[in-house]
Amino acid sequence: MEKKQPEKKAAPILVQMGIFAAILFVSALISSLFPKSFVVPTPLIGMIILYILLATHIVKLEQVEKFGDLMISLIAFMFVPSGVQLAGSLDLMKREGLQDIIVSVLATIIILVVIAYVGALVIKIHQKLTGRVDDDEETEKGAN
Amino acid sequence: MAATLALPFTGIFISILVYLIGQWLFDKTNGFFLFTPLLVGMVLGIVILMIWAKMTGSTTAAVYKTYYKPGGDIIFWFLNPATMAFAIPLYRRNDVFKKYWLDCVIALFVGGFVSLFGIHAVAKLFGLSATSTAAMMPQAATTAVAMPIAQGIGGDPAVTAMACILNAVVIYALAEFLIKVFRLKQIPKVGTGLGLGSAGHTVGSAKAVQLGSVQGAMAAVAVVIIAVAMDIVVPIYANLFLH
Repeated sequence: MEKKQPEKKAAPILVQMGIFAAILFVSALISSLFPKSFVVPTPLIGMIILYILLATHIVKLEQVEKFGDLMISLIAFMFVPSGVQLAGSLDLMKREGLQDIIVSVLATIIILVVIAYVGALVIKIHQKLTGRVDDDEETEKGAN
Repeated sequence: MAATLALPFTGIFISILVYLIGQWLFDKTNGFFLFTPLLVGMVLGIVILMIWAKMTGSTTAAVYKTYYKPGGDIIFWFLNPATMAFAIPLYRRNDVFKKYWLDCVIALFVGGFVSLFGIHAVAKLFGLSATSTAAMMPQAATTAVAMPIAQGIGGDPAVTAMACILNAVVIYALAEFLIKVFRLKQIPKVGTGLGLGSAGHTVGSAKAVQLGSVQGAMAAVAVVIIAVAMDIVVPIYANLFLH
């Protein structure tokens, strides 16, 4: 897909953007194949494709890293328009804005606690089943 | 004049301006949690549009649509490559992911599904409308993924965006407290990392890294996998229980 770069040297930024653009283009095409009732957003498909390309070494880390890190570092700023978007739903906000805020806050805590404990449970069951004792769990616990 | 203001420059300028003000406030107050740049930027942006609407005798929604949205949409578009870029931190921790991938996938699908019941119950308790309830469902996924999912099940994507922003604010402000209260340090590290990554997205990942490298890696994994999980699980839940 890309011409060979010298080891570890970051690809030119325009090439990095080109890789992102190509993956997003394909992702958008794939996303449009899904029915309305089962939306698979373009960036989700892009994320999966990029991971597969990296994991199979078709795309090297140094070919996407610089642009990708830049994008991630700006992500909080990029959310400003989606926040300001509420200006278009102020009626809804006036009616139940406070409830929305409370439920969002509680939902955060629910997600954190439920997933943390389900994750812990899954790990414990897995360890029981395989009899595997997790080495970094043990060593790090010992160190504490 | 009005036509010029309707060009994308207006929205882009407002967005950067309010975010920078937020950043400045955040620095000045040594990181007071309510002055998270994004939260300040969002509130300030809405206030600017409200004042603008008052002055021109128009509605805020109309001002938003005509003058802010063209520029806002351009910035918003960049969430596509930015969200996609989460594959990079996941790949960087591929060693840990390979070791725990099955546990992660099971935990995030099951945990994600279970937490939907909790969110639904809380939404019911506070009497949210159907639009808002649907909007609350996919918030464990990162915003750019959660919004289209919410729209697909009849939620208001603007409310979803707000919920996702609040997720980050809550985790930023309360992570240490919540970890202590819910004894998240006493459970396997993988669980803690997955929880933080799902609840707080990028902010959660940053907090998880402070706890340790396993937690940090798991949070990076969670940001990607929970987005996939929500995409599959939320429509199923909505079909079964929401309508």
